[in-house]
Amino acid sequence: MRPVRRLFEGLWTIYRRELRAALREKGIVVNSIVIPLVLYPFLLWAVSTGIAFVMGQTEGFTSRVAVIGAGPLHRPFLRMLETNHKVEVREHLPLATALAALRAGELDAVVEILPAAEGGVVPGEFALRVTVDEAKERSRTARERLDRASERYRSEWLAREARARGVTAADWQGFSIRSRNVSSAREMGQFLLGLLLPMLFVIMVAVGCFYPAVDATAGERERNTWETTMTLAVPRFAVVAAKYLSVATFGGVAGILNVAAMTASMGMIFAPLFAEGGEEVQFRIPLAAVPVLLLGALLLALFVAAGMMIFASFARTFKEGQSMVTPFYLLILLPVMFLQVPGLEFSLALSFVPVVNVTMMVREALSGSFHWPQIGVTVGVSAALVLACLGLAARILAFEDVVMGSFGGSLGMFVKTRLLARRGRGAAGEGAR
Amino acid sequence: MSQPVVVQGLTKVFFDDARGEIRAVDGVDFSCQAGEIFGLLGANGAGKTTTLRMIATVLAPTAGTALVMGHDVQREAEQARRALGFYSATTALYPRLTARETLEFFARINGVPAAAVRARVDELVARFDLGEYADTRVDKLSTGMKQKVSIARTLAHDPPVLVFDEPTVGLDVLNALEMQRTIRQLRDEGKAILFSTHIMSEAERLCDRIAIIHRGRIHACDTLAALREATGQHYLEDIFVYHVERAEEQGEAGL
Repeated sequence: MRPVRRLFEGLWTIYRRELRAALREKGIVVNSIVIPLVLYPFLLWAVSTGIAFVMGQTEGFTSRVAVIGAGPLHRPFLRMLETNHKVEVREHLPLATALAALRAGELDAVVEILPAAEGGVVPGEFALRVTVDEAKERSRTARERLDRASERYRSEWLAREARARGVTAADWQGFSIRSRNVSSAREMGQFLLGLLLPMLFVIMVAVGCFYPAVDATAGERERNTWETTMTLAVPRFAVVAAKYLSVATFGGVAGILNVAAMTASMGMIFAPLFAEGGEEVQFRIPLAAVPVLLLGALLLALFVAAGMMIFASFARTFKEGQSMVTPFYLLILLPVMFLQVPGLEFSLALSFVPVVNVTMMVREALSGSFHWPQIGVTVGVSAALVLACLGLAARILAFEDVVMGSFGGSLGMFVKTRLLARRGRGAAGEGAR
Repeated sequence: MSQPVVVQGLTKVFFDDARGEIRAVDGVDFSCQAGEIFGLLGANGAGKTTTLRMIATVLAPTAGTALVMGHDVQREAEQARRALGFYSATTALYPRLTARETLEFFARINGVPAAAVRARVDELVARFDLGEYADTRVDKLSTGMKQKVSIARTLAHDPPVLVFDEPTVGLDVLNALEMQRTIRQLRDEGKAILFSTHIMSEAERLCDRIAIIHRGRIHACDTLAALREATGQHYLEDIFVYHVERAEEQGEAGL
């Protein structure tokens, strides 16, 4: 049999064994499949349900509103307020008493109907001053209710005055502001997906790689199966590559599963909420974004898997492996925090920053825009990073005391004692194949 | 035909930051024929495991050569690995695979043609009486059953050379005797068997030839009868002590 064919057959056989064994480990299944698929969608549902519950509770409150200075002229305003059974109007309170009651939480808002400021040109012109305590939820709710009522009252007043002058309300108003959103429901959905998903995508790829990386290295040592694997009749490269690809598979799958699950759950949870507010939002991943998303998952998973396996390869127990990989895990999550900076764009400079570039690429793709030069740089930088990691891994594997687990240090110690300080004698423990 | 295992001047030097250079194996020579159990007898830390690990290609020799079925363990590591089966206390089974999956995996990875894998696995399951437990995960098996699966996986690709590094460590008497019986059977089937132990009675009962290894060097290598004749001692324990004491004296004399 040709050596190349043997190599790939061996790699495939070990890869399948790694996947099969990993899928039978509860910790891996939970972290790499169940959490990406269920946890964040569940949290999303829990948070939105919680918010809806709190909003429902707040909506149930009756707003206690003091109206001062209504007089006979503005009785219609009072009637308008009273038709809302969630507003309780209190009249005839002195202003100072009403404000004191507002501060004490005994009232939720104070409305003053004031004559127009000096220089008013229309007879009967007036102003409404609404005083609320913004630190209190009940008070804010009262303000929203008053805003709606006073806007209605204002419109009716304007229309009546305009009719009296033989013009329309719009003509009478003279200057009005109207806004329009040119984004379609689908585009709005893509924008919102782009805000939330890339960050979770990176977290999930990292979480997806974490346990398999430790399991495939330190876990093997702890179970005493490392030496068994070292005696398999395939080149060592096939063993390492198979393990590496299986870890990357878990990372990539975790990322993709999470994006799919989050998109579906956002569609089910957020879309109805937007619909209640009169907005139509569709949460769908654009078809053109799918290849970019898969590419992003691949690049990120290959890098994260390589990094985590390098760190974990110095550990002799699973626990040791977890603590060695954790700093790398936190390190790759750090740049993701900057993604929340408003106005951050996928510039050419940003496409040179590892992890951030892939995340930005995914974010832009989810929003339906594709910056091909940046995507090209991202692929190049990520590939270079993966190659650098594999090069370092090859250097590490050349030391058989590290391979056999008798090197008693971490990656930092290895770099210091083996790579940086190789002085005359040659590197201790070098010679593994 | 050349001998299945030929070892010449095999040396392994470790570097330790605290202790400096450590010669774990120092110019070892021996060979093993088909249908022979060749024993490496030595105390803990004598260099038995390091020697066998070099032959199994787990460790790279610092100097010297080892050929397994004519394949140099350094230059043709993969071919050498395909020609041998390595069993030791530190080569555990993958706990999350079933016994059958384990045997299938080792058969495939060690070069058994895909079409022949199933038949080979069935043969091993029958030979080691694993039928009832074949589809049970390895981590759920008893120690005795794990031992059977371990031997079966070592034989999965029917290698001509078998390396057993202290195979009875941690086994109870009955399982240890079962292991010895299996090794004898394999010898009778024509396998070349390298066997390391520090248990004298085991070496006495099993080995066709014995090499006494101490501080990385082989100080005697022959049949038990020839060792007795050369030392004038009857029991292997006395023969071992005789050689170790002489080695220590020579060491002190700087020879």
